[in-house]
Amino acid sequence: MVIFKNMEMRLLSALILLFSLQFSAFSQSKFTVSGYIRDSLTGETLIGVNIYVKEKPSLGSVTNEYGFYSVTLADAPVTLIYSYIGYDKSYFTVSNPSNQRINVNLMEGIQINEVVISAKQEDRNVSSTEMSTISLPVEKIKKLPALFGEVDILKSLQLLPGVQFGGEGNSGFYVRGGGADQNLILLDEANVYNAGHMLGFFSVFNSDAIKNTTLYKGGLPSAYGGRLSSVVDIQMKEGNDKSFGVEGGIGLISSRFTMEGPIDKEKSSFLLSGRRTYLFDLIQPILNTTNFAGTNYYFYDLNAKVNHRFSDRDRLFISAYFGRDILKFKSNDRDFQFRIPYGNATATVRWNHLFSNKLFMNLSAIYNDYDFSFGGGQSEFQIDVASGVKDYNLKLDFDYFPDTRNKVEFGILTIHHQLTPNIARATNGEIEFESPLVPKYGLEYAGYIQDDIKWNSRLSANIGLRLTAFSHIGPYTSSIDSTIYKNFENVKTFSGIEPRISAKYSIDQSSSLKASITTTTQFLHLVSNSTSTLPTDVWVPSSELVDPQRGVQYAAGYFKNLLENIVEVSVEFYFKNMNNQIDFGENYVNSPAEEVEKSFVYGKGRSYGAEVFVHKTSGKLNGWIAYTYSKTRRKFDAINNGAWFPVSYDRTHDINIVANYKLSKKLELGGVFVYATGNTYTPLKSLFLIDQNLNIEYGARNSARIQAYHRMDISLNYDPKPESKKRFKSTWNFSVYNVYNRKNPAFIYNSINTHLDEGYADAKAVKVSLFPLIPSITWNFKWK
Amino acid sequence: MKIIKYIFLILSVFLTFSACEEEYIPDINNEPSQVVVEGYIEAGDGAFPPYIIITKSLPFYSSFSQNLINSVFIHDAEVSVNDGTKDYLFTEICFNDLTPEQKKTFGELLNINLDSTGLNFCAYVDPSFQLKGEVGKTYKLSINTDGKNISATTSIPAPVGLDSIWFEQPPGDPSDTLRRMLCYVSDPLGAENFYRYFTSINDQAFYSGFNSVVDDKFFNGLRFKFPLPKGQSRGAEFDRKTYGLYRTGDTVRVKWTNIDKSHFDFWNTLEFNRANGGPFSTYTRIKTNINGGLGIWGGYYTNIYSIKVK
Repeated sequence: MVIFKNMEMRLLSALILLFSLQFSAFSQSKFTVSGYIRDSLTGETLIGVNIYVKEKPSLGSVTNEYGFYSVTLADAPVTLIYSYIGYDKSYFTVSNPSNQRINVNLMEGIQINEVVISAKQEDRNVSSTEMSTISLPVEKIKKLPALFGEVDILKSLQLLPGVQFGGEGNSGFYVRGGGADQNLILLDEANVYNAGHMLGFFSVFNSDAIKNTTLYKGGLPSAYGGRLSSVVDIQMKEGNDKSFGVEGGIGLISSRFTMEGPIDKEKSSFLLSGRRTYLFDLIQPILNTTNFAGTNYYFYDLNAKVNHRFSDRDRLFISAYFGRDILKFKSNDRDFQFRIPYGNATATVRWNHLFSNKLFMNLSAIYNDYDFSFGGGQSEFQIDVASGVKDYNLKLDFDYFPDTRNKVEFGILTIHHQLTPNIARATNGEIEFESPLVPKYGLEYAGYIQDDIKWNSRLSANIGLRLTAFSHIGPYTSSIDSTIYKNFENVKTFSGIEPRISAKYSIDQSSSLKASITTTTQFLHLVSNSTSTLPTDVWVPSSELVDPQRGVQYAAGYFKNLLENIVEVSVEFYFKNMNNQIDFGENYVNSPAEEVEKSFVYGKGRSYGAEVFVHKTSGKLNGWIAYTYSKTRRKFDAINNGAWFPVSYDRTHDINIVANYKLSKKLELGGVFVYATGNTYTPLKSLFLIDQNLNIEYGARNSARIQAYHRMDISLNYDPKPESKKRFKSTWNFSVYNVYNRKNPAFIYNSINTHLDEGYADAKAVKVSLFPLIPSITWNFKWK
Repeated sequence: MKIIKYIFLILSVFLTFSACEEEYIPDINNEPSQVVVEGYIEAGDGAFPPYIIITKSLPFYSSFSQNLINSVFIHDAEVSVNDGTKDYLFTEICFNDLTPEQKKTFGELLNINLDSTGLNFCAYVDPSFQLKGEVGKTYKLSINTDGKNISATTSIPAPVGLDSIWFEQPPGDPSDTLRRMLCYVSDPLGAENFYRYFTSINDQAFYSGFNSVVDDKFFNGLRFKFPLPKGQSRGAEFDRKTYGLYRTGDTVRVKWTNIDKSHFDFWNTLEFNRANGGPFSTYTRIKTNINGGLGIWGGYYTNIYSIKVK
């Protein structure tokens, strides 16, 4: 730990030095071209568009998450090229050397496999300082085969190198050896604490409402923080500000419907999107004839967003998400019933303001709430349990473009957290009693600054620093010494100094070396007793009982583009150290009357691995091959007698092959192949007789492995009238999940039958596989 | 509160059309077997004399024939119990060596009908019958077998009995023949109390409920009502319609016991261990109070109540 701190301090002083050097070297001001880049048909701003100077391709910029760019130039005339995957390139010649606003509308490309003019800036894979980062446009995700036909953003991320799935069909994921609670999932900046529906089999993101998804596995920009392993940043669509339209789809288990349009043409627009499952609604007539009448299960999602452009300088966005899983169970013959609703609600209000063509500001006020509740019982014995997380977040971010060599981002934020443990209220018909648990409160602060610096055409770096602090605050009564803390009174404060650096050295026009160091601190923790996360799992804050998790990741990689930037290749290596990792002790029994923190044990983690990614970004045949080699270990004094052990999702080998092939204008074929080393599990050590019954003594934690997992899915997208100019269009998606019907082991359980009074017993392990071959069909429509 | 199990229920409803199970044969492990102790010492109403069963654990999955079960008993161990003043040496008796009359008594002691099983159960008992459990005393067990020294300590807490027991109609559809049992306990304020219960129908063996232990975290110092579902043999079929219910006309004996913390921890982790595992919870290791082995050395204060189901 001392070494860790020393390293942090040294990095910090190096950073300060670099910053001061850099800013003193600012060249005198020239002229700046800035503006917004939008889709020509929908008016949606485009994120991550490349802007570069034709005459000097090493000069350029990229649009931020609000579609804004700024380039400072020395001479005119000069031609700017705007390039974005899937869109036709746009050229603009700047003839006057004066500050100017140039807003560009890009046309969606008809010819995807156009001949690309060779230009260095074309590819950020090689030229940017960004590493361990992948952006997936939602259109790409929609073409992949999907389980039950449900397009799923989080499951698509699992097909990328370094990202491992949480379980068969599960949307939970693990990044570079980090736990499931170590991923920060943001929807329009709001934290989504539980991104899964139905035990995680589906993610909460309705693809029709989503514009873009970016995954950061390492080399994390300083603007992000709060989780140890990764960030998934998801942006909702803004809504078409030019014309009204609807789209939707009818699938096997759910349907979707979205409408969007201008409120005030090209000034303000709205988007409203919903999705609901109906599988159990369909079988209600059958259920109602049984003892289980009244039982139902469904989930739904609602997304809404409005935005208004007050002027070229000011824009306001309001977005909201609301989703629920509802499970009602009734067993009428024994008067047993329960009801479990749970889900997230988020709301984000954002104000974009342009102070100058070099300084962009965004102010966000964010609310998010995750609630889980259970209510049920039998006759007069009833129990209600509720838990959740509620945050109020205020955040101010600036993008500053001082010159072509620097892009500076800085900002501050504060979050008020309320974390409610599983508080149980029960009655036996006479006495009402309540578990002696209360919510815990925390205040989180962060400030960051980072500079993306180009020293020359070969060397550039993104250097950043994030400072964080977290205070466990009252109201609180210490369970250690019974001290009573009042509202907002400080109980304990933690801080984090998080230097980040990511550097690139170009070997030649089409290849580069990159390296990064990312330090992270995590103040909120979710400890699960299951192999994936469940809605019942409870988030707890760092407090006088629990210290924050701290991590540092080192990554290095080689990046190469082939065939005029159509094929991107990267090889990355990472090594990660995680301190103060949390788990349950080996004798864990959940007790509703006790703070869950009392059952925690603490240890450390380590993971390393190599990732190979070959990505053909366009053409008739496109897709990728991702291979990951990894090792992830944990060490806890209280588990396995203090020996290192692999985590359950430790996957030595992980291969994903994703391909899309355009057969004709009408037909497009998609395929996915997945191979992964089997999960680890804790095997039986022995059986022993107690109470005339066989009991299980478990062996060392995760010391055995189940068989390897592999599966192939295919999909066919059919557009009956691709050339149709009508406003109404419909397409079909046919998917087959698990084409060769592989019985992949999902988990193993012990089946023990003891009949000592009859003189025999038997014990065996049983392997359960969940999803066989599952065909599905989805009809999608659009009216624009 | 086992919400997870309820959730598992929906999941299984949803997945029944697709999930598939098959036997899984894991790699052979080379773990040595361990010494397993199951011993009890009782005070109170109808307290049984102390006994200790010593077996070895089996490091594999198997079908357990009579022979295999008979082979797990560890013979010729040196077993003694110290009550704070004196050592009591225990001796081994095995079912097959007994007269029919002795067999019946032995079966009652071990709470099993051995005649029907063909098993040769063995246990260590105090031949002098001098050692009797007493409230407030601590008992140290020492075992020496095959060069291994095994020890454990337990105590017998002060009695807290039931205030009353009665029967009511089961929840849901009324029934002519089935009843549920409810009881009141007045939990003393202050010290932690731990309880375990068993039921016996018409003088047959006592069986514990699936969740047979409870602590007083929720009702410390209160007079508290709760149901006592009928205990059943672990091998018995689980029938959702009759589970936990009693038949009118039967006579029920309730064995309500007071136990200490480590004894509670053992059954609490054991019952959690049995009910969990699989995808939704990792394993829980059974918390033993045996040094050098597995199992339990447990003291009970027993309160026995007999009541006819009406």
